Formats: sequence, C-alpha cells, structure tokens
Amino acid sequence: MKPEHEAWASLQGHAAAQITPGFADRVLLAARARPSPLLVAHFAMCAATAALCLAAVAIYQSGVADDATNQAGWSEIAAQASDLEQGQ
Amino acid sequence: MRELIIAYQRRVAGFAYAITGRSDAVEDLAQMVFVKMARAIDRLKTPEQFESWLFRLARNTCIDHLRRQKLRRIFTPFGPEHENVPEPAGAVDSEELDALRHALAQLRPKDRALLALVQEGRSHAEIAETFRTSVAAVKARLHRAREQLRQHYNSDET
Repeated sequence: MKPEHEAWASLQGHAAAQITPGFADRVLLAARARPSPLLVAHFAMCAATAALCLAAVAIYQSGVADDATNQAGWSEIAAQASDLEQGQ
Repeated sequence: MRELIIAYQRRVAGFAYAITGRSDAVEDLAQMVFVKMARAIDRLKTPEQFESWLFRLARNTCIDHLRRQKLRRIFTPFGPEHENVPEPAGAVDSEELDALRHALAQLRPKDRALLALVQEGRSHAEIAETFRTSVAAVKARLHRAREQLRQHYNSDET
C-alpha cells in the first residue's frame, strides 16, 4: 500500500473528480437566487403560529383579569346586600 | 467570482470529502460553501485572510451537514442496513484511498477537519483561529489525531 501522504493526494483527486462541469456557473446562479418560496412559506407559517400563540395568551390573560374584576365587583355587591339585610 | 470558484473548487471538494467521507455529498457541500462565500465575500474585511476564511466556511458547512444528518436520524431512525450505506460501486477506486477513508471515518468530525486543514497547508495559528482555541491545543489535538489516523490506516493495511 502507498504511504499516507499519497493516499491524501488520491483522496483529493477523487473528490475533485466529483465536481461536474459547469459547477461555477451553477454556484453563481444559486447565489443570485432568492430564498425559495418554500422557505419563505415556512417562515411565514412559523410567524403566523407564533402570532396566534401570543394572541391566545393575551386573550387568556385579559379573561383572567376580567374575572378578577368581576369577582371583586360581585363581592362588593354581596357585602352591600348583606349590610342592607342586616339594616332591615 | 467565477475564477475564484474555479480556483478553489478542487481543494474545497477534497476538504469536504475528507470530513464527510461521502463522494455523493461532495458537490452539494462544495456548492453550499461557495454560495455562502459569494453572498458574504463583501463583508470580508481582510482579503489576505481569504483562504482561512473560506476553509472556515467549508469546515462549518461540513460539520453542520453531519450534525443535521445525526439529528435527522433521531427523528427518522434508520435500520441497521441503512446506518452505514457503502459508497456506490466504483466510487472508491483504490486501496489506499479506501484505507484512508476508512481510517478517517474512525475519527471525530472535528479531528477530520483538523487533519484536512493541515493537508490544505493551513498553519497552526490559522487553525487555532478557525477552531477558536490556542496554538498549543491545536498542536496537541493534531498530534493525537495523526496518531489515531496512522493506527487505523496501518490496521487497515494489515
């Protein structure tokens, strides 16, 4: 078997042979291309999902705050009713 | 830009092959490296460091590729018959190349990248910058990687 350094040269030669003609032109074409619509759609879907999650959290939080306000209101009314009953 | 790609395509292909060990991935990986290069070259402030910058791009692209492959296997577990799919018939046409490829496959991807960078003529200082480590650490790792490679290469021979 040949020494290791010759094997490296053989490896580089073999790898270079995998590059097909017109490689540089294909690279330049790919570099100029815009991101694929699929990728854009993917990011749009991610953004929409994140927005929906945020909206759901915000709605839930506002519901919790409303519940607290309503409960405080009802407690006050109940206390007033109780006072009135005791007054009679 | 075209001339730059043509000037470096063989070396980048060799580098990618040393790290991945797959002939069928070489052209795709080289294309990814050069597309990144074409899109980012305007931001390269020191043209004299072009080569080390290009090989850093190549190294990161190859390591990312291997990581993605590993991750994909978590979600799509391969059967034992798909774990180590051999190179297509006729892809590796010499005994010493096959032995080197096999020996490299036994090393960690980062060690393969290290050895490939040395083959590319990168200095210890440049490699240290690429790996974001010290020159002493590069020398120690390189010594270890060379020893391991030699062992595996010679064990293939016997």
